[in-house]
Amino acid sequence: MKDFSIKALIVCGVLFMLAKPKTAISQTPTDAIMMEKGQLCVAAIYGHDSWDKYWEGTYKRSNGNIGTLTRQSVTGMFSLGITDRINVLGSLPWMKTSASAGQMQGVQGIQDWGVWLKARAIDFKLGPGTLGFYPVLGLTGPASNYAVDYLPFSLGLGVVEASGRGIAIYEFDMGLYVRANAAYHVRSNTTIERDYYYIPGSGGVYSNKVDMPNVSSFGATLGALLLKNNLKVEATYEGMNTLGGADIRLHDMPFPSNNMDMTRANFNLQYYIPFSNGHVLSVIAGGTHVLTGRNMGQSTAFMGGLTYQFGVFGNKNNAKQ
Amino acid sequence: MKKIYFLVLLAFVALAIFQACEKDLPTNLEFTAYTYASLDEDGGNWKPILLDSATVIGIPAPEAASSATYQTELADLKAASANLNDDQKKAVAYWSGDGLVRWNEVARELAAKYNLPPPPKTDGTYGAPDAANPSNIPNFPFAHPPYACRMFAYWGTAQFDALIAAWHYKYEYNRPAAYKTDTSISTHLPQNDLPGYPSDGAVVAAVSKRILSAMFPLEKAYIEELATEHLNSLQWAGVSTESDIVWGDSLGRGVAGKFLARAGSDGMKAAQTPKPISDSLRVAAKAKWGWQWDNLESPARPVGITPFFGRVKTWCIPSVEAVRPPVPPAPGSAEFLVAAEELKKISSGLNEEQRKIANFWADGPSTYTPPGHWNRFACDEIVSHKLSPIRAARVLAYMNMAIMDAGISCWDTKYYYHYARPIQAIAGFKTILGTPNFPAYTSGHSTFSAAGATVLGHFFPEGTAKFDRWAKEAGESRIYGGIHFRFDSEMGNTQGIACGNYTIDIAKADGGE
Repeated sequence: MKDFSIKALIVCGVLFMLAKPKTAISQTPTDAIMMEKGQLCVAAIYGHDSWDKYWEGTYKRSNGNIGTLTRQSVTGMFSLGITDRINVLGSLPWMKTSASAGQMQGVQGIQDWGVWLKARAIDFKLGPGTLGFYPVLGLTGPASNYAVDYLPFSLGLGVVEASGRGIAIYEFDMGLYVRANAAYHVRSNTTIERDYYYIPGSGGVYSNKVDMPNVSSFGATLGALLLKNNLKVEATYEGMNTLGGADIRLHDMPFPSNNMDMTRANFNLQYYIPFSNGHVLSVIAGGTHVLTGRNMGQSTAFMGGLTYQFGVFGNKNNAKQ
Repeated sequence: MKKIYFLVLLAFVALAIFQACEKDLPTNLEFTAYTYASLDEDGGNWKPILLDSATVIGIPAPEAASSATYQTELADLKAASANLNDDQKKAVAYWSGDGLVRWNEVARELAAKYNLPPPPKTDGTYGAPDAANPSNIPNFPFAHPPYACRMFAYWGTAQFDALIAAWHYKYEYNRPAAYKTDTSISTHLPQNDLPGYPSDGAVVAAVSKRILSAMFPLEKAYIEELATEHLNSLQWAGVSTESDIVWGDSLGRGVAGKFLARAGSDGMKAAQTPKPISDSLRVAAKAKWGWQWDNLESPARPVGITPFFGRVKTWCIPSVEAVRPPVPPAPGSAEFLVAAEELKKISSGLNEEQRKIANFWADGPSTYTPPGHWNRFACDEIVSHKLSPIRAARVLAYMNMAIMDAGISCWDTKYYYHYARPIQAIAGFKTILGTPNFPAYTSGHSTFSAAGATVLGHFFPEGTAKFDRWAKEAGESRIYGGIHFRFDSEMGNTQGIACGNYTIDIAKADGGE
């Protein structure tokens, strides 16, 4: 059980390392780590994300009126073990955007709240390791009245989004693991601050509501627990695919319902420092780079943060066992 | 464990319901065909805008209602409207007979589609749309506000003159509508006592087809398809026989031709000047006023939008000088500093209400432009007042003439004073709206909107306060958006009202009051 207990500490993981505005993937827990009952993990993470090239449809270009677009964020998160098999997670990012060139004003503020329920539905020994399956249900929505139709500066897309994700993981007893996840994100209409807009290939719409296409996302991870399980190292290939929406036309402005697709590579580390009282501090760091994209910036992002885990009910010294 | 699966299932059912509950978003004004508040029987006597008289374009007297030819037409119409499939029903409901509001929406949609500034090339230069080769990149046209206001003006005035001619022939020949002669024809639109020959719907479709195809040459096929559906819908609806349609179409095409001839020589071809001329305007402004506007985009655009639009032929104002505002406050002057301070203060503490106003009225790239916004308002009024097509066209003709005159006089002012935008005049100033590629003073949106509001207030007096409030808010929106000084907007408002009043003077004398 010792091994499992330590893994239980790792709940804070890198769930939000990819915290990224506008992408359905952004705040969705994609790992397979569970808090034990009564354990609470809180985290604060800083992210820095920038690009100087973007895809207008599939045409990759730069823009002298943007230069480099930078988005910085600070995200507060929590994860709580309701039971050993069911966890609830939440997040709330604050962010700030700015451009290095041109005269457009950047914005800052609170983006979208997110809440997830994650369950350890199945896990059993199989060969030299353990196979597990974890369904995750998520709900996100705007936490402030930010302007949605102000891409690429907008804080987010202003949608209420419900997602269902399946995570499968195979963990070798030696500490190596492979994990895959896939999700479907159902998005509500979003609201913009004008009541007419033109969708290329479709026509004019006389409403301040915008029909937002749904999104699918996936990820594949290779990870390892090193240094007596105190260090977690992960490399991930992941992507999102907007299931509909128009391309940005040549030199047009982006629009919230654009067909935004991308794949990216992600690498991250998490180092755990357990205390004698059973609490655990961890330091996380990571980076991600967009490989392919459509109607999005080719961003390179770095993040770093701290997590802190402690018992709030049940057996408060659980982690020590 | 079973609970978890149940929860997951429940969640997905909830999601499906959640999404199914969202309504389809409207792609046009939702209304059902109405009975006209008045048939405007004397419309054939109203004074046309461009035509010397209602009979400049002739159409022959129709076959008598009792003739064998017409009886065959009636039988065909009866067959056409007897059993409609769903698509035909939809087309009838959409075009709702005269189709004037629908064609205005088509014009707005095309304006939005073509309202895209030329992109920079990889070598940092910009291509220019070429009317002779419209499919070159960038496509012709770039439907910026001057282009759009002119398009709406020709479309609206041609409709008005063509419908005056149509009304003239309707009452001159006085052939009753098909469904009056043969009451067994099933109709799917409200019946009325207008004589059926020529068909007003066919007139509207023909004018729209010719004007819009000339303004948006790459859309010919799309426009043709719409026009065909519109004409078919008149038969499916059981309202127009073949000769009603054929001669309505002929009349509409003939009248539109007169307007296109005017458009061909109104000076628009020279409005987008070459760089040396545009530079000479800048040099002249610097010499005369001590300042000049510069484009700050990267790469910089060599020529602003239509420097010579101020020389395009006007409709109602005697000259651009008659409505040209006084010299704006010199940069650095006390009055300028007050305006600049106001912008800085607004920009640093922009509240949500101000942001919403800026965005609501932005009417920037990929939108129907400020003139399109006012055409929308006009159509809302037309439908709520149940106007006949000739009276509706009268509103659209005068409003769009005033808006185009406002555009011409505003553009004259812009390049005459060549005044800097806030991003140029205030160091480090940033905006939430993109700064357009032409000088600041006076604000185009303020001028367009005030002209539109003034004319709409004349035709719909109970709405005067609302229209004026909208026009002022449109002007205010440019200040919140950071692209205009207060004096740009306030002077634009005054200038637009002046243009609107000249237009109203002409409307008052056309016999249609």
